[in-house]
Amino acid sequence: MAERSLKLEIRDMTKRYDNGDGVEHINLKIYEGEIVTMLGPSGCGKSTILRTIGGFLDVTDGDILIDNESIVKLPPEKRPTAMVFQSYNLWTHMTVYENLAFGLKLRKIPKDQIRADIDKHLKLVSMSGFEKKYPTQLSGGQQQRIAIARSLLLKPSVLLLDEPFSALDAKIRQQMREELKKIQAELGITVVFVTHDQEEAMALSHRIVVMNKGKFEQVGTPTEIYDNPATKYVASFIGEMNFVEKDGKTVAVRPEDVAITSEPADIQGCVRTIMVLGHYVEVNVQCGDLVVKCFVDRDQSERLNPGDPVNLKFLKTHIF
Amino acid sequence: MSKKLKQMLAAYGLVLPSFLTVMLVVAWPILTAIKTSFTDPDTGGFTFDNYKYFFETPRELTNILFTLGIVFLTVALAIVLAYLLALYLRFVKSKVSRLIGNLYLLPRFVPSMVAVYAMITVVRDSGLLNRISQLFGGDFKPGMMYHASGLVTMNMWFNIPFAALMITAGLGAIPDSMIESARDVGASKLRVLRSMILPLSMKDVVIAATFVFMSNVGSFTTPYLMGGNYPKMLGIVLFDQFNKYLRYERAAAMSFIIFLICSVSAGVYIYTNLREKEWEK
Repeated sequence: MAERSLKLEIRDMTKRYDNGDGVEHINLKIYEGEIVTMLGPSGCGKSTILRTIGGFLDVTDGDILIDNESIVKLPPEKRPTAMVFQSYNLWTHMTVYENLAFGLKLRKIPKDQIRADIDKHLKLVSMSGFEKKYPTQLSGGQQQRIAIARSLLLKPSVLLLDEPFSALDAKIRQQMREELKKIQAELGITVVFVTHDQEEAMALSHRIVVMNKGKFEQVGTPTEIYDNPATKYVASFIGEMNFVEKDGKTVAVRPEDVAITSEPADIQGCVRTIMVLGHYVEVNVQCGDLVVKCFVDRDQSERLNPGDPVNLKFLKTHIF
Repeated sequence: MSKKLKQMLAAYGLVLPSFLTVMLVVAWPILTAIKTSFTDPDTGGFTFDNYKYFFETPRELTNILFTLGIVFLTVALAIVLAYLLALYLRFVKSKVSRLIGNLYLLPRFVPSMVAVYAMITVVRDSGLLNRISQLFGGDFKPGMMYHASGLVTMNMWFNIPFAALMITAGLGAIPDSMIESARDVGASKLRVLRSMILPLSMKDVVIAATFVFMSNVGSFTTPYLMGGNYPKMLGIVLFDQFNKYLRYERAAAMSFIIFLICSVSAGVYIYTNLREKEWEK
């Protein structure tokens, strides 16, 4: 990413709410054409950061720059950002076309140009032919597509998405995720995405910022964060992880890195449950008070029965 | 008896008590009043004279126009002020706005008679305002008693909290993200008000306006205590015909005129409420 130009920079930014909550000393650089996801549980401050970028919250301290220019003093309507909210994005008293045209009209763009732009963007989000519909006549997923199109129409420098898919059902969510990734690749736009869904973050992002209690726990690519979690919190938040206490240290091992063998290995136990999850099988092994989760292939699982004594070998571990 | 017939009889039987009550206490008095309004007091025959009196006597015509003027002014001022108050309560988050949010309904809990007398002690020419001006060597006489300005001012006391209550509920139903997304695409605050907040709350404004209109057309307490001898509000005109001149036929005609004026506003109310806008389907 280093060869790419810097798009958005957050410099030592602090936002404190009246009740003392907030985020402190946030530093982040986001490069042109990147999808960066803020990931964390609700209340961790991820939306706060997004809203300070969008201009919906004032910062207490620090600076935010886009293309090396400070935007921290600008109101939302003057910022080169566009935001898609979790829900109620569209104006219910306007048709899809009017929703899309509103921002362009404010910019005094000629009518023909507006029509052409809207046609193009409706095609981009696969919503051609819906111009005359009102938002309440659309499904949640369709509304979010229009909301994304509306934001993209304004050619923002940075697109901000605040849990845009969390109100949608699982299947639509996956589909929207894939489409967003495609659109982003086509346009090369810089995206800051906020979610509490680690799977969504892994699937979409070039880089993930894992947040906890107003602080960054780790910043890295999905692979880096999955393979080398920096803290125990990141290890537990991203993907599945077993934690085993050994010699006063916590050993973390992913279920796919636990091998079931008959030879003496790291830890002993008895098979507790066997669950087929499609092409792989989850085997839970009771080791004293602890239940260790292992992912094994179908062939091996067929030789196992609940109650069988087994040895577990940790192929790859993280020590915290 | 067939099952269907039994069900039908049961259904009508259940509706009957309320139907009879409505007939007895609403429809019957209205119908007799209408009949009385078309009756000649001397001959007992049919006549338009009771209505002609109100529309052909210049003095009475002035009373009708005066009432309409007061009511329209009250509606316009109350709605504008209530809208501003509701906007403030909805969008300004501060200790003061929270305090006002808790206090603004207080006037609704003061009996109207008490409120009018309280206002009189403040605005009459020897009232509180006058006394305060005397402290500074002046002699300010508001001149609001027995004058339209007093009536309208008093109407504000009653109607702003009421209208604000309705409009605040309407504004509360507009999600923040709708307003924020409008700001986000480049709309200034004024533009958001014009293109988003006003159209989205227009229905509540119209409904509040019809309520304010209806309750003021036939208002009595305020004009009785604060109004002048001439021109008079229609509530007082009706009262005089009935109680002073014992002209029951004219009183009936007047009540029907008030009813007709109100029914225009009721029509607007029903139309606004029933009209399913395209975007609400």
